[in-house]
Amino acid sequence: MHNIVPLLLPLEGDTSWPPSAASFNSRPLFPGLGIDWVNNHMMQAVIGALLVIAIWLIFSHRQTVVPGKRQFLGEMAYNLVRNSIGKEILGSEFRPFMPYLVAIISFILVNNLFGELFLFMFPTFSKIGYAYGLALMSWLLYNAVGIKKYGFGHYMKKMTLPDGVPVGLWILIIPLEFISNFVTRPITLALRLFANLFAGHLVIMVFVIGGTMLIESGTLFYAAAGGVSILFSFAIFALELLVGCLQAYIFTVLTAQYVSSAIAEEH
Amino acid sequence: MNDQGQGITVVSLLLAGLLLYGGAGWLLDSWLGTRLFTPFGLILGSALSIYVIVKKMGGVKS
Repeated sequence: MHNIVPLLLPLEGDTSWPPSAASFNSRPLFPGLGIDWVNNHMMQAVIGALLVIAIWLIFSHRQTVVPGKRQFLGEMAYNLVRNSIGKEILGSEFRPFMPYLVAIISFILVNNLFGELFLFMFPTFSKIGYAYGLALMSWLLYNAVGIKKYGFGHYMKKMTLPDGVPVGLWILIIPLEFISNFVTRPITLALRLFANLFAGHLVIMVFVIGGTMLIESGTLFYAAAGGVSILFSFAIFALELLVGCLQAYIFTVLTAQYVSSAIAEEH
Repeated sequence: MNDQGQGITVVSLLLAGLLLYGGAGWLLDSWLGTRLFTPFGLILGSALSIYVIVKKMGGVKS
């Protein structure tokens, strides 16, 4: 029974009971070489990025006018992002943002699915640093396109001052809008992704580690409860599959939304 | 702006109002040693947030 935990939770820093934030600690891959920042979770993110690049290269390789199965699949995936996110939210200006949107949804999706994939079994974005990194990229993108379109001064005015606010309230409203658009937006973007995956993975750990302990307890009744707990963890894995896809979609939709609000015409 | 975007903007504004003016009140309180400004700041922050939300997306638009 000892080998269930390493099989279902191979990348955890600490599998003692009860699972806690310490269970999410990374392990250096090459300890003692002075490159401790190369840890298992970072390597997982790199593998995820390489996978995304490989998948899209395979999809787009040797394209023909009449698509074959491989190209058809790729076009379907691309069209899904283009039509339901790009065109829907960004309207006619969607084209320059498609590479970013497609890249970010596939990268998040692959990394979230790592949470349910053997070998990895750990969603990369349950480490908050990775989520902050992604949110920072989206933040740079929407501010950059806004400044490029309107110029710095006009963009700041547009983002911090809603129409029709009387002059007397400006001093109160401008900091409020500033914090809302430039601080809470990226933080909530990152926290939403992180918290969903962190919580989901923590629940899985409770079921798997707790179930294993119950099975090993030696009492028949406890062992039966532990077996049910391990079985039930698979239901949670299925739920996490859904959450992973949903969060990848939401992150991309919100990025598109922020870009759209940065370049939208005033009305 | 679509419905999803509006929802996110509302949440973000409410959080910003509470954080900014609640935080300012808390700072004032810990500076002056009073206990008055934190609740005042929190209420002012939410009121301003709601004001901005109504300004931004209130009224009936097609």
